[in-house]
This record gives sequence, structure tokens and C-alpha cells, in this order.
Amino acid sequence: MFARDKLNLLKAKFSSAILRADLPADNRLYVFVEPRAIKPVCQHLFRDLDARYVISIGADDRPYSGQFLVAHNFAFDRDHLLCSVLTHLPADNPRLDSIAGVVTAANWAEREFRDLVGIEPVGHPYPKRLVLPDGWPDGAHPLRKDFAWNQVPEGFDDEREFAFDEPPEGCMVVPFGPFHPTLDEPAHFRLYVEGEMVRGCEYRGFMVHRGIEKLAESVLTYNEIPMMAERICGICGCVHNVAYAQAVESAATIGVPPRAEYLRTIMLEIERLHSHLLWVGLACHIVGFDTLFMQSWRIREPIMWIAEKISGNRKTYALCLIGGVRHDITPELKAELRSILDKLEAEWTPVVTAVLKDKNLQARTRGVGVADKTACKNTGLVGPVARAAGVDIDCRRDHPYAAYDRVDFDVITADGGDVWSRVVVRAKEVFESIRIIRQCLEKMEAGPMQAVIKDELPVGRLGLSSVEAPRGESHHFVITGENNRPRRWRVRAPTYQNLQGVPAMIKDQQLADMTISLGSIDPCFSCTDRLETVDLRTKAVKVWTPEELVKMVRAKTT
Amino acid sequence: MSVLSKFQEALVCLQAGRVTLPYPAQAQPVPAKFRGRPIFDAAKCIGCAGCANNCPAREILVFDVCQEVRILKYLGRRCTYCGRCADVCPEKAIIMSHEFENATDAIADIQQQIELFMSTCQRCGRCFKEPSPLEQLKLKGYRMDDLGNERWIYRSKAFLDEEQTVDDVNIELD
Repeated sequence: MFARDKLNLLKAKFSSAILRADLPADNRLYVFVEPRAIKPVCQHLFRDLDARYVISIGADDRPYSGQFLVAHNFAFDRDHLLCSVLTHLPADNPRLDSIAGVVTAANWAEREFRDLVGIEPVGHPYPKRLVLPDGWPDGAHPLRKDFAWNQVPEGFDDEREFAFDEPPEGCMVVPFGPFHPTLDEPAHFRLYVEGEMVRGCEYRGFMVHRGIEKLAESVLTYNEIPMMAERICGICGCVHNVAYAQAVESAATIGVPPRAEYLRTIMLEIERLHSHLLWVGLACHIVGFDTLFMQSWRIREPIMWIAEKISGNRKTYALCLIGGVRHDITPELKAELRSILDKLEAEWTPVVTAVLKDKNLQARTRGVGVADKTACKNTGLVGPVARAAGVDIDCRRDHPYAAYDRVDFDVITADGGDVWSRVVVRAKEVFESIRIIRQCLEKMEAGPMQAVIKDELPVGRLGLSSVEAPRGESHHFVITGENNRPRRWRVRAPTYQNLQGVPAMIKDQQLADMTISLGSIDPCFSCTDRLETVDLRTKAVKVWTPEELVKMVRAKTT
Repeated sequence: MSVLSKFQEALVCLQAGRVTLPYPAQAQPVPAKFRGRPIFDAAKCIGCAGCANNCPAREILVFDVCQEVRILKYLGRRCTYCGRCADVCPEKAIIMSHEFENATDAIADIQQQIELFMSTCQRCGRCFKEPSPLEQLKLKGYRMDDLGNERWIYRSKAFLDEEQTVDDVNIELD
């Protein structure tokens, strides 16, 4: 009923601007509105109806409808509803009122469709390049359908440098990353530092943007994409694998057999166990507490082994196909998984007991990297970061998928909003995951693992899916298409929103707290940039270009 | 209480003992289901190209030398060992082996190439029995991947239209 209620609320206020509405199920709502109404509608959803902003999607729909398409996705977590506001834009003039002014969280997403699809968000507060590499020519938009997947645009300029903003008055610039001793993955923050205090920053990331969405919509096929989706992340790959499959299933209304749903739930929770234990270890490593780093990774190892026994690989499970799963859990594996969970619980309990009272760790993490409820709402923070600030959201409960509606578990929250609260939330969530897997093993019924798909999938349908990854909500949006592949597939990883919260978290705190603040969102990005060296004797600064670095490496190896 | 928690943490460490495995001196056996390097069995392969059509990494190439001879080449570079080729193979000619120490500086160590004698039904393209419409063959007739440059030639359209069929016939005439 909630979908219809929300639609009626929108109709009451914007009746003339609403062109069409689809309610394929009670937990999905697609509203097509006129372009001029997009900003007021989104503002109404976000501010008055208190929806959570999820993501914006730009798509080149010209070959099908002759127009561009933009979708702004929102979630009503308490009402178990995912909602998408869509609008078509003319092919010759794809411009749209930016919503980033009223929905701050849409900042990146709008810049992304500006880069990739060439839809101009008019009135965007910070319309700077986000995704495309520095040398990419203006006016070439790789996600347009007339841009081939393997095309190198004319005018690509390796030499072109990215124009960073000027730091504010009185501040020094301290580059942080892409290579940093305590940051395992590359991202570049230009920190504006006044003395020891961070006053602001500029972020430059997307250094390994590989264009897999383009690959999916032009080269791969429905059942090949799950294997590639899994490679979006080396830690929570299965999440993307499941989220993609569910988005397509939701678009094509394919029912998944119950056994497959339980198997998906089990594998997702196994992944959460490994990810949380890994994160607790890494966080301790960042603050210099290597003892616990070693121990939590030791405790994690049997989880990797059982995942390998079930799926054939420690981490990349290659689990889902459209309509089902590929790996079954035999009775012997069931028994083994049970005993591993018992051992894990027995080993993790004393660790958590000790850590929760560890004053040193608290001294290092309490009050650090604070993101409060308002920040969560405005920047759309998700997962343990939001839960640590007392925002009670969890897709497993709010937007139940797979078999989560058939198991009983608690959503762990804390109220500090700081790094310490995130440690507590993650440490306790481990026990909930163990609970969920035990219930699944108990309730899992015999039956097929794969739905029978007799026909090709319908064309032009929309599908949404939110999956709770260890680090937050992973959201996939799919438009089904011709030739056995989707027309558009948009992935929003949880870090996409959480990273946007980092500037607020690190503002006005010590430079030394930067690493753990960033580490506390469990960031997930990857890559390479240039290298800067300073000769200590002459104070000469030399910036190494990629060519020089490559040359240097080759000279050494041959 | 912090001192106590330090003792508890020390206890956790002491109880664990030594857990480091003697690898690489001695390798752990891998589980039965382990997905290692795929091995192609030329004796079983019927050359249906189902694996090539369903490889997410596009690491399996097929080239038809003539009416009777088809070459299938596995490149092994981007292969993610997902095991889809073994799943869809109607003859179970591909097994996911237990080999995982595949690092090499000569890619030929990993690559496999099999030459197949094809009998008549080659053009129907239906000897591959797909599990669902999502896996069906997208290219019927002759396949012309670029084996020399190890490049996969795939049309941006998944299904052959009229024009492309004509092109294929031209290849046959050549």
C-alpha cells in the first residue's frame, strides 16, 4: 500500500507534472515526471516525505525513445519502498535542473552523468569533472550509445593536468594518497591544513574507472555480467553479483527458488563475516594495534576456507546467475559450516569483550571522524557509518531480499557517530551474521537452485535492487534491453555515498586522524597516479610522469 | 579496566599458538570443488563454441580454418576461473582443475589450443544445448576470431542479421 500512498501524495501536489507511474510491486515505485518538475518533486520527496537519497542515473535512451533519460532514486526505509523518479530529456538539448542544491548527496551522481552521458545539471553548485581521466577531451561522453566500448576519443591528451582548486587563505596543501602507507587503495585527497588541523579537502578519485557498465551494455550478456559484477569489489564482490541478478530478476519478474534464496543469504553473510573481521583487523592496523590485526585475521581464515569449499574459491564465489545460484551446500558442508560458526563465535566473543574495554583504542577513536544524523541524511551515508550515528537503516530488514524476510536478526546501532561507534557496530554485527547463517541452515529446504527461464527476457523494463553490503547499501539499477543484455546497468557501491561524507568527517580535526577517519568508512577504491619526489639536499621538487615511471621500471627489469 | 583488557588480548594471542602454514614448502590440498585452471579435453570437445560464447572474460577464441577444421584457443590471461565454460559444456570436455600456482612469465604455459575436425552440422550452430535462452549461441555459422593477435572479434550486435550472414558466406567462398 505504501507505493500507492506515496504516489497519491505526489499526485496531490504535482498532478499536472506526473506523466506516468508504474507500481510493478508494492515495494517499487517508478514515477515519470516532466523535466521542469524534477527538482520540486525530488525536494518534496527528500525534505517533506523524508526519503533517503540513493543515486541518480543518466542514460542514453535515444535509440529507443529518441530521448535521454534521468532517474533519481530514493528509498523509504521504514515503508520498505524503493522509488525512482524518471524524466526524459530532448536528444538535442539534454539539460536538467540540478537537484544537488537541495539534495547534497546528489553532488557526485549528477557530475557523473554530466561526464559520462553528457546531461548537463543546470545550477549544480560544483560542476567539476569527477569520473573521466584528466586527459579525456571535453564533449566526449563514453556512456552514449554512439560511443563504441573500445573507442579512444579523438583529442585524448596525456599531458593535460587536472585543475585543482586553490586552497583557502592560510592553509597548506598536504597531498594524501594515492600512495599512502596506511591506505591500501588509491584515492587522492588534497588536504587543506592549517597547522595540524585539517580545514577542508578536495577529492580526486575514479583513477581506475574501468567502464564496466559500458562493457555490460555493449559486449557482455545477461549471464556473463554477474561474474564481472563480482569483480567490482575484492571484498564484497558477492554483494554486487547478487544485487545485479536481483535487479534483472526484478525487471523481468523472474521468481527465484527458495533454496537459491537461502544459499544467497548464506553466502552474503559469509562474506559479511569475512569483511567485518578483515575491517576490524585493518582498523586496528591503521591505529597501530597490530596484535588485534593479526588475531582478527586468524579468526577470519576458516571462513575463507569454508567459502572455498562451498563455491570453489576463497573470495570470488561466482555465485549467481539470473534466476538462481550455481553452488549448493551439501549436508557435509552444512555440518562443517556449523562447527566453523561455533568456533568463530567462541573465538570472537573474548576479542570483542576485551576490545570494548580497551581504553587505548577508545582514546584513539572516540570523537574522531564524526558524522552525525544530519550528515547522514544530507550526504546519504549508509551502512555501519549511518548505523553508528544512530540512523537505523539496514537493507536486509528495510528492503528484504533473498531469504532475509524469513530470518530473525537485530540491526545494531550506536549513537556516537565516531570511529569508535563504527568499531562497535561492526564487531557486534559479526554475531548477527552468525545467527542469520544458523537460521538459514536450519530452514533451508530442498529444491531446485535455478529458476527455469524459457523465454528471452522482456525489453525496456526497469529493475531496482538494494543489497546490504558489509559497508552499506549497494544499489543496482537495470533497464533490460535487446540482444540478451541490459540497455543500462548502474551500480552504486556504498563507498560512493560514504566517501562524500569524508570531507565533513575530517574537517577541523588533527591531520593524524585522517587515516582512521577514512579507514572507518571501509573505503573501497583502487589505482595509480603520479609520483612526486623531493630531493632533501637541494629541496628540488620533481614530479614524475607516468612515462618516466614506466621507463624507470622497464630499465630495472631488463 | 584497560589493563585487564590488555591481558585478555594477550591471552587471545597465546591461546592461538602458531597458525602459519608451511607454504610454499608444502601446499595445502585444495577442496574438491576448487576452481583452478580450466583444462580442455580435445577428445571430448565437439567444437560447439558454447564456452567461447559464455566466457565473461572473452578468453576463449574460435577460428574456422575451413569447412572441416575448427581451432579453439584458450588464452588464459584475464581468465577469472569462474567455471562458466565448464558449466555450459554439453560434453563435459572442460574441467576446472586443482592447479592454482599458475604464475608464469611465458603465457604459452597457460594457453591451450585444440584443433578439431568438424563434421557436417557445423552451420546449424545448434549442437550446443544451452541451459536457458540467456546462454544461447549468438553467432551461428563460421567464427573468425583473430587468433594471431589473440583478439576476439565480436560484433557489437549479439545476433547475426541478414547482412552479416552474407559476410560469412563470403568468408566461405574465400
